Amino acid sequence: MSAHSLLRSRAGLFRPTACISQTNRLFSTTRQSRSSEPTPTANRPTHFGYETVTESVKQERVAGVFTSVAESYDKMNDLMSLGVHRLWKDHFVSSLNPGATNPIGMPQRILDVAGGTGDIAFRMLQHAHVNNGNPNVHVTISDINPAMLAVGKQRSLSLPASHQSSLSFLEANAEVLPSSIEDNSLDLYTVSFGIRNFSNIPAALKEAHRVLKPGGVFACMEFSKVDKYPIFNAIYKQWSFSAIPLIGQLVAGDRDSYQYLVESIERFPSQDDFRDMIAEAGFAIVGKGYEDLTGGVAAIHKGIKPL
Amino acid sequence: MASPCISRAARCLGSTARGPIARQTAPASSLCQRHYHSYDHPSTPPFGTVDRSILAAAYKHVPEHGFSLRAIGLGARDAGYPDISSSILPDGQFSLIRYHLVAQRERLADKSRELLKDDSLATVNDKVAALTWERLVGNKDIIHRWQEALAIMAQPSHLPKSLAELAALSDDIWFLAGDKAVDPSWYTKRAALSMVYSSSELFMTNDRSPSFFETRQFLHRRLGEVQSVGGTVGAVGQWVGFTLNAGVNVLRSKGVPI
Repeated sequence: MSAHSLLRSRAGLFRPTACISQTNRLFSTTRQSRSSEPTPTANRPTHFGYETVTESVKQERVAGVFTSVAESYDKMNDLMSLGVHRLWKDHFVSSLNPGATNPIGMPQRILDVAGGTGDIAFRMLQHAHVNNGNPNVHVTISDINPAMLAVGKQRSLSLPASHQSSLSFLEANAEVLPSSIEDNSLDLYTVSFGIRNFSNIPAALKEAHRVLKPGGVFACMEFSKVDKYPIFNAIYKQWSFSAIPLIGQLVAGDRDSYQYLVESIERFPSQDDFRDMIAEAGFAIVGKGYEDLTGGVAAIHKGIKPL
Repeated sequence: MASPCISRAARCLGSTARGPIARQTAPASSLCQRHYHSYDHPSTPPFGTVDRSILAAAYKHVPEHGFSLRAIGLGARDAGYPDISSSILPDGQFSLIRYHLVAQRERLADKSRELLKDDSLATVNDKVAALTWERLVGNKDIIHRWQEALAIMAQPSHLPKSLAELAALSDDIWFLAGDKAVDPSWYTKRAALSMVYSSSELFMTNDRSPSFFETRQFLHRRLGEVQSVGGTVGAVGQWVGFTLNAGVNVLRSKGVPI
């Protein structure tokens, strides 16, 4: 993909961003612009789709992509995955079973990283508060991108008041989480369809390991490899490289951002490699360490911080 | 005869868990899965440290709470893990059931040493009967929960692992009994024992007799049937083979070009 056209599309989307940051200020409980803080490895090379750029450039460009897709994000997810992403997310949350404590009603703290639009966090609250009858579960939605957070905040307004009061928002870079999230303070760290956009994935995994309690769970849902089923893989590749950018162009008016999404999926490590990265960050792996969804189009990886 | 051989078997029983199971549960990298039994190179154990400690603690709650998520949650708490940690087990309740299966199978290997010292167990068949009964006795504490466990094991997503574990059990029993046959009876022996074991187990779930003596009788009747059926089938086969051979010879003697 060409960098020029991406920049062009970003420039074209300045307006929606401005209007979003206005809504943002209405509930501004989050610290501002942490995302501009440089990470220690800002000059190291990394991938941006099929391009190789420095980490700081990737951070900027990803910010551009998600700022431009924020508003159409949910609609596009439905179209791109033919609605299946809802099943994946429901399965992800019910497999984690937040709020199931002994005795019932013990507090739990959950951090949903890259959870801007709240898809996972809202399901967590529903599962914990309603299914498991535990109102003491608190979810923090963290995202590096204020535009995505603004969409999540807007959507959270339609939740029941009890859910809203158990929800907080945080604008933060997952590679350097703010000191407000203390060491050994979380029960569950989730990141869903976000980690492949991180500039420095090992740093983010280390950070997850830092903030989780001993025995706390790291759970990640991400697009993965369908190598086990060659025929399905061929159809899937065809779909992602031809249809998805086209849908992006027609529906969201932004081909380049969706081209990036597809390329970033392709660049992301395989199930086994990513599992090894999680183990390297200090997590213990149980069983084979991941679960394939829809034959490996997406995969759920889990790790547990040893006692 | 058996003792050195069996003690070796017991030491590396992990490696008799073949194929699918060990592959499923293998933690991270470091894996070279074998499809044969090695005395000298124990393969990866079926559970890692974290899941083993959670499941071992949860297993103590099974008689009261069954093979349930609640038992796992209580076990995680007992083992010092926060409540969320039970979500790390890839198969939920089935992990606990599999823990029971694996633990009992491993116990059988340890137990076999003293069990098979008994001189009254002369033949391989006697040893198989004794080992199978010993394995069934391993179910006695949780037998009132075993029907619900069987229902979970029969779910399509868990069935392959359940069957693999059953196959591993009958394989272990024949191995520990000292069966060294490498002819096609390898398959029939294991298939027959799997059938006998699972039907006896099912019988046991409804057995209210003191110390399950009805189950014991049931088991011996089934094993007896297998042997007599096996003997009959063998005899019939021999007769058919002889008759066909003789028929061909008669035809040849009449000049038919066969």
